[in-house]
Amino acid sequence: MKPARNPFLSPPSAAGRRRTPPARRRGAVLLSLGALLALGGPALSAQTAPVRPPGELKKMSLEELLDIEVTSVSKRPEKLSGAPSAIQVITADDIRRAGAASLPEALRLAANLEVAQIDSRQWAIAARGFNNTTTNKLLVLIDGRTVYTPLYAGVFWDAQDTLLEDLAQIEVISGPGATQWGANAVNGVINITTKSAKDTIGTLLLGGGGTEAQGFGGLRYGAEIRPDLHYRVYAKTARAGDSALPAGADAGDAWHRTQAGFRLDWEPAAGDQFTLQGDLYGGAIAQPALADVKIGGGNLLGRWSRGLPGGSNLKLQLYFDRTHRVVPGSFSEDLDFYDLDFQHHVAVGARHDVVWGFGYRLMDDDVSNGPTLAFLPPQVRREWFNVFVEDRLRFLEDRAQLTAGAKLEHNEYTGFEIQPSVRLDWSVADNRTLWAAVSRAVRTPSRIDRELVSPAAPPYLLSSSPNFASEVLLAYELGLRMQSSPRLTLSLATFFHDYDDLRSLEPVAPPAPFPVVIANGLEGRSYGAEFTADWRATAAWRWQLGYNELRVDSRPKPGSLDRTSTRSQNLDPHRQLLLRSSVGFAGSWEFDATLRAVAPIEFQAVPGYAELDLRLGWRPVPEWEFSLVGQNLLHRRHAEFGPPGSRREIERGVYGKLTWRR
Amino acid sequence: MAPLIFRPPLCWIAPLAAAWLLLGAGPAALRAQAPPEYQVKAVFLLNFAQFVEWPPEAYAGADAPLVIGVLGADPFGDTLEETVRGERAHGHPLVVQRFRRAQDVRECHILFIAPSENGRLEPALAALPARHVLTVGDGDDFAPRGGTIGFRTAQNKIRLRINLAAAKAADLTISSKLLRAAELVGPPEVAR
Repeated sequence: MKPARNPFLSPPSAAGRRRTPPARRRGAVLLSLGALLALGGPALSAQTAPVRPPGELKKMSLEELLDIEVTSVSKRPEKLSGAPSAIQVITADDIRRAGAASLPEALRLAANLEVAQIDSRQWAIAARGFNNTTTNKLLVLIDGRTVYTPLYAGVFWDAQDTLLEDLAQIEVISGPGATQWGANAVNGVINITTKSAKDTIGTLLLGGGGTEAQGFGGLRYGAEIRPDLHYRVYAKTARAGDSALPAGADAGDAWHRTQAGFRLDWEPAAGDQFTLQGDLYGGAIAQPALADVKIGGGNLLGRWSRGLPGGSNLKLQLYFDRTHRVVPGSFSEDLDFYDLDFQHHVAVGARHDVVWGFGYRLMDDDVSNGPTLAFLPPQVRREWFNVFVEDRLRFLEDRAQLTAGAKLEHNEYTGFEIQPSVRLDWSVADNRTLWAAVSRAVRTPSRIDRELVSPAAPPYLLSSSPNFASEVLLAYELGLRMQSSPRLTLSLATFFHDYDDLRSLEPVAPPAPFPVVIANGLEGRSYGAEFTADWRATAAWRWQLGYNELRVDSRPKPGSLDRTSTRSQNLDPHRQLLLRSSVGFAGSWEFDATLRAVAPIEFQAVPGYAELDLRLGWRPVPEWEFSLVGQNLLHRRHAEFGPPGSRREIERGVYGKLTWRR
Repeated sequence: MAPLIFRPPLCWIAPLAAAWLLLGAGPAALRAQAPPEYQVKAVFLLNFAQFVEWPPEAYAGADAPLVIGVLGADPFGDTLEETVRGERAHGHPLVVQRFRRAQDVRECHILFIAPSENGRLEPALAALPARHVLTVGDGDDFAPRGGTIGFRTAQNKIRLRINLAAAKAADLTISSKLLRAAELVGPPEVAR
């Protein structure tokens, strides 16, 4: 976290209010509208029901088909996340074919996310608004491990990685998922999973380099120890170039990173599955005029799932996660998490499916404070525990399902929080499903809300408050998923979010703008629509379109004197468009184009932009794959996020990649 | 801007809970929809049509359909038709046909042998036309017993087992892509 870029510490300047040239904005809008019209006008429809439409399955490669879990005749639902919601799935094949070189780049493929690159290593990623350098309403999991930092309940994206070739899929759910996933799953959930070791047998070697992704290499070896016991080990390293200052000079933020890990999968009997996995990583990021930022860490996770007769199952997961971060001139942190999760899924009677479980989480956080900001006390130990239950009821001859549940969670800041939801999905016809949901979710306080002061010694310009309460969301969603022909799948999710007790910065001695204290002085509303279309024009040519409209509005509640945060919390483009074409030809060639158009961020005067990524891949023999990737090709450099004063721009990049597997 | 918080009075909760439980009390009505397992298997059949090559003489003509047959008690419901509707493989449109007995199978490129036939698999295989039929079935032992491609389920995922000798005997070429995704099994003895 760089304090200079943190919205708390640098309220938007006057320049931040300047409007963007209308011509640019109109361009992005026209482009978006044009694409929508080209699709055929009233193409309004549909999101995931537990029964997948055949078209969705037909788009999958053999490998993906082999990887999906099927429900046996006992009618056990596929997955918890299969409940009706605005879910989009990025497959391993999508990631490879889009030429994504990092997890955030892969997340650009989810049309229901806002993904903005801030500089060479920082990303602002959010669903349904409130995007920021410290986005705090999104839950991110990698193989069941929660990766948001307790400092500000956001994600240090520079520390999250894996060998992308090991990914099974990324599920992106926009909207609250708190009943199932817990606090922080307010505006969305990103669930990243890797393949079972059984599916990565053999040797994989890859390497490449270019202008921005300057050099990277990876190695994986997987083998069978016994027919029921498989493992893999991997290592990867990557080096990236600087982002650019608006005038074009290097911003001096190049980075390098190395990671290694393993995964062991043991299936001693049908339905019994043990997984043990772990990762270790380290890296450094350059800073102008200061020593490098150093990151490092590791995790170890064990999971046991067991199928019981009658289609019920148990899951127990335990992990340990250590994070180390040194930001010279700002702060350093050693953070340990211990986490336990238990889940039991059981069919009750002929129509009820009940999932219940509990979780426990222990954190040891040790911060060394710098001169610009301090967490007081620097060292804390905190505990969380939760219980949840959810029942899914089938009715109307199994054409409709009503899912109701609640999670009760205890944290040391605000005590008990309850997060209930009710969801209904109804197959109105064989090819279309209508769903609706009402849910309550909370963003519980993080250390920044309760324990932060700046500067590190009095007099403070900013201080947190021991009275900061949870931010509360009440969300209303309505969606439709439609298979309008075997080749075309459409989905539309609409939402209205009603927020209360959003974070505000209250001036202590108005009209002086400083000092400020953190409080819950804002309320807000957002609404919007997320549309996707997936069209398999031919067996080898696939088109994907994603289009979002989003409006976020927050304002001071009676009594609040905050007149700045409504701007710093409104950094969301009003609309964005994603258009992808994937084509295979001549047997061994692939050509992919990904166009994204993003409307301006008004309060930061970030102009709207359109960018294009291309990838050409050639696999002449099964062992060898060559690819050439161009990223952000339309401009020499462009800005995606940040106030004009400290903004970095993202440069056009080209890289080549060689993969060998056997 | 008042928050739209909906608070049901306490007196609603008991009847709501009772209704919730009662709704689930009756026996589940069965619906003519395949369980997802067979949705996925239907898509596999479609993939097999793409990844297996039949010699030209396997088709009655250039525009003749590629026939996907189901022998025995059909587990697919309408799913198989929905899956192949509008699809082509090697330039041939796909059609679905159902057969009661193996002796009835004449023009057929892919034949799914339903689990109902497991007890009489060998005689059924022997009664099929000698060439050009890709036999597909369920169970660990389908391919070892002489079928060409067997589905087996492990950890809720579908695995493929391919009997290459059976494919060869039927004069079929299976693409390396499909072979890579499968486990190859013997013995090479084909029951016909």
